[in-house]
Amino acid sequence: MSREVFLLPDVGEGLIEAEVVTWKVRVGDVVTLNQPLVDVETAKAVVELPSPFAGTVVTLHAQAGDVVDVNQPLVTFDVDAEPAPHATPKHVVHDVPDEGRREPVLIGYGVATEDEIHARTARRTTSIGATGVSSAHDDRGAPGPVRTTPPVRLLAKQYGVDLRRVAGTGRDGLVTRDDVERARTARPVGSIADASRVATSPRMAGRELAAWDVGPREERIAVRGVLKAMAESMTLSVATQPQAAVWTRVDATRTTELIASLKAHPDWAGERLSPLTIVAMALCDAARRFPGLNSHFDAAAQEVVVRRYVNLGIAADTPRGLVVPNIKDADQLDLRQMARALGHLVATARAGTTPPADLAATTLTITNVGPFGVDGAMAILPPGTGAILCVGQVAPAPWVVDGAVVVRQVLELSMTFDHRQIDGAMASSVMAHLARYLGDPAPALLAR
Amino acid sequence: MTTTTMTMAKALNEGLRRAMERDPKVLLMGEDIGKLGGVFRITDGLQKDFGQDRVVDTPLAESAIVGTAVGLSIRGYRPVCEMQFDGFVFPAFDQIVSQVAKLHKRSDGVYRMSMVIRLPFQGGIGAIEHHSESPEAYFAHTPGLRVVSPSTPHDAYWMIQQSIDSDDPIIFCEPKSRYWEKGEVDVASPSRDLYSAQVRRAGTDVTVVGYGSSVKTMLRAADAAALEGTSLEVIDLRSIAPIDFPVVTSSVEKTGRLIVVQDAPRTASISSEIVAEVTQRCFYSLRAPGLRVTGYHVPYPVARIEEEYRPTADRILDAVDQVMGFES
Amino acid sequence: MIDDELVQLLTPEGERVSHPDYTSTLTGDQILSMYRDMVIVRRLCNESTSLQRQGQLALWAPIQGQEGAQIGAGRALAPMDFTFPTYREHGISWCRGVPPEDVLRLFRAVSNGGWDPQKYRHHVPTIVLGNQVLNAVGYAMGVQRDGADEAVLTFFGDGASSQGDVLEAFVWASSFNVPVVFFCQNNQFGISTPATTQSKVPLYRRARGFGFPGVRVDGNDLLACYEVTRAALENARAGGGPTMIEAYTYRMGAHTTSDDPTRYRVDAEVEVWKHRDPIERIKALLVREYQTKPAVFDQVAQEAEAFARKLRDDVLAMGRPDPLSMFDHVYTDEHPLVQEGRREMSALLAAGVGHA
Repeated sequence: MSREVFLLPDVGEGLIEAEVVTWKVRVGDVVTLNQPLVDVETAKAVVELPSPFAGTVVTLHAQAGDVVDVNQPLVTFDVDAEPAPHATPKHVVHDVPDEGRREPVLIGYGVATEDEIHARTARRTTSIGATGVSSAHDDRGAPGPVRTTPPVRLLAKQYGVDLRRVAGTGRDGLVTRDDVERARTARPVGSIADASRVATSPRMAGRELAAWDVGPREERIAVRGVLKAMAESMTLSVATQPQAAVWTRVDATRTTELIASLKAHPDWAGERLSPLTIVAMALCDAARRFPGLNSHFDAAAQEVVVRRYVNLGIAADTPRGLVVPNIKDADQLDLRQMARALGHLVATARAGTTPPADLAATTLTITNVGPFGVDGAMAILPPGTGAILCVGQVAPAPWVVDGAVVVRQVLELSMTFDHRQIDGAMASSVMAHLARYLGDPAPALLAR
Repeated sequence: MTTTTMTMAKALNEGLRRAMERDPKVLLMGEDIGKLGGVFRITDGLQKDFGQDRVVDTPLAESAIVGTAVGLSIRGYRPVCEMQFDGFVFPAFDQIVSQVAKLHKRSDGVYRMSMVIRLPFQGGIGAIEHHSESPEAYFAHTPGLRVVSPSTPHDAYWMIQQSIDSDDPIIFCEPKSRYWEKGEVDVASPSRDLYSAQVRRAGTDVTVVGYGSSVKTMLRAADAAALEGTSLEVIDLRSIAPIDFPVVTSSVEKTGRLIVVQDAPRTASISSEIVAEVTQRCFYSLRAPGLRVTGYHVPYPVARIEEEYRPTADRILDAVDQVMGFES
Repeated sequence: MIDDELVQLLTPEGERVSHPDYTSTLTGDQILSMYRDMVIVRRLCNESTSLQRQGQLALWAPIQGQEGAQIGAGRALAPMDFTFPTYREHGISWCRGVPPEDVLRLFRAVSNGGWDPQKYRHHVPTIVLGNQVLNAVGYAMGVQRDGADEAVLTFFGDGASSQGDVLEAFVWASSFNVPVVFFCQNNQFGISTPATTQSKVPLYRRARGFGFPGVRVDGNDLLACYEVTRAALENARAGGGPTMIEAYTYRMGAHTTSDDPTRYRVDAEVEVWKHRDPIERIKALLVREYQTKPAVFDQVAQEAEAFARKLRDDVLAMGRPDPLSMFDHVYTDEHPLVQEGRREMSALLAAGVGHA
């Protein structure tokens, strides 16, 4: 004998309950399989339910007039344990489909109940709760989400750089790949894992400085290495070379147009061209025109050395600080060669692999403050050279053309020169030459 | 020499002919395909050579063309149904989705729905309403079906034969605006299997993906982009369902940028599917979100203004500019 | 309701009547055998209804009252003929040799088919109304091209007779002279839609409009159904083209177990049809003409009981299919999305998400 409970089943159409109308059996009755048990009324119809078991009625779980929910007990039976004479050879496993999991509908077992879904998410929220809800913000009050592209995110992650602490220099504060590269090299090697937790500020003379809130009230830094070199060089220059500066604003529209059109040309695909390239060409051209610019005041020999070759130094801001590698015989290069030479110079300087020979014997220098969004500076003359040209940003500005105010790409040039051998007239003439060159570079470039 | 120049229409005709010569179980069924040779002459001359029992001029009921093809497939034939135009496939939609797509599964693999349903699709022929539709997404969305589209005469010649050989039901979308364009067909060997995508033009800056009539437009855009200094990699999907994603993702991993082109309206389309899938697979390679250059969310417009609706080389280039500009 | 053109060979009381075009050719043994078929099929149908009421089937579509039409038509088939049923041709499935438990796999929701259609030459069930009628015509077009001595028998109801697919099938069958027999069981109802809404004209007359013969037969008359179907199939096999048979009958039960017929018909009408029961009139014939003994009928009833018990056991033993089986037979070739889905579900199941 076994006890079996008949639960009120699906009788169709998404019903959730039924009312018992008439019992057709009583407690104690012995019923056969499929014998009518009860009439129930659903929202739709009166339905007769046949007995799923052969056995004795033990309990009727509702009275006439009661409403029973689907999947609730209706009748309990004592069922015979003996095998019926018709028993099939195979072992019969009673599989009640989706018991308790579905609300029945017209043409199917019905819709899975909410419980199913809740069970699954309940498991998940339990596991989250164990480790704590992840917070959207750093509790040290970092700013909101970082705007950047997926590969840059990956790069930052690989470097261990906390994007929230990287200043974005792209449009609308977008963090660019370069920003991440800069941020990465601003940390000492070996502390990648701690990067997101170390507070630093921009490097000074190749040195990492602790951030304002974090660092000591007074911090003493030993003067060594690049810092020492720079300090000595600047001191020497100011102490021994009387220097003055001239500056001018240039309509460099044609320069920018030329660069754009070259960049679009298949022959120039992949070449790194920028206003700096043209400025370099212009300065070399100016030296040819005004050799006196490319001179050195040899105080010891009481001679001025005029050089007819330009070793063009480019002030480079590297992770180790300011270095000025030069391009030998830059006056001999055409535009393409200059572009490549500049690219190579910048890359090796950043990598810290500039050969010492490239750091010596500069004759003229360019320092480019444009990338910082700055217009000009009175740069300090590198010792042993005649002039240093400071190049500012190229930006749209109002300009008068044929009596009308128009928007042009304007660039400011400022040149510091050794006033012992170079006078204001020459310096100004050089500036005018540069302005003319940059104002219409094509003829001069073609002439080379 | 095994290559010959022919129009896509002729290539389809020849491909059908080859298939019918090889296998007597191949039948063609459709409206006006026999005596008339089809409104686009795709089946020209075939009834004369193979007879009315194998090239059947049917009464005008698309549902019946496909429904009877189901029965013929059950019987072991390989029917090739022609829907006269894309816009007229819809009466057959029930049979396609309820029976063709499902009977292999419903019969636990006993039945093979070895049939091809050909339909001329996409716009660009200056037609009246219902003759320029792009219904491929409905079929790509239906498990059990496969959807392919040749963009060249060579592919048309081979893909129709490969589709007929397949034991799966295939919706064969023919870019009708390309029917009369000529191309080289190598009749000795196909270049690839039915479901492989093909890089039609190698490039480095942007991956541009499309199928059917869009492919030629994409190539034209690539020529123009090159002059502007941008290098597009053009991929012809060939198979719309399933999509050969490895070819697409290799390309996007290289370029970091994706544009998908289609005549069909954008919402819930093939292009949406590609952007979603590629974003998932190539997330860390992406330098910009995938952009879709598509028809608008309007019923296909009147022919006089259809060129504003369909993706042009200019619209593709516009998308190229957008996609190139995301990192600055 | 019943007009002069109705073919009848046996009255509801079990008395033979003659018809100018049809003569009953069945022997006593054959009639007894078909009586047995009808009794078993009815018993199995009732058992299926009980099983549904006990929550063992998602739903059930009963054929109560239509046994005469289905066994009559089913037994008229030649072994190589192919049948295209709806979802309610349980009597035909029986005649084709499909095991009863396989018929219930659809209703148990473990399969959308249930049996090997090529093995039994009996198409899998079709739920979308009228689709199978077109498929049948296509199959018959294949038979035609093979030059085979076979016919196709396809089924639909009065409701489906309004579907475009059915009417298109008539067009094709007529235009191409296809070896198909259209068997319409007019059981008077769609779900609740009466047959008179489907057509102002008696359904069998449609055939003439399409260019082939239509015959209305007393759908509760086993003998007539058998003869009319047999003749139509022979005609088809001989190249005579299609015939439409309208078996005029009555759906004694509900559309399905989720339906409540009391909402759209009156008990009185059902009572009338009770007196036209197909099994009772055959029983009366057997007694009157063949002196069949009660013991014989009891034996048949017991056999039916045994079939019912076996069906119950088989159904209760039908377990939940392996969820991964949903990825089988979607395509004949490998398909990347199907493979991906299978992998994904396998991983979820292995991780304990979902129910294996």
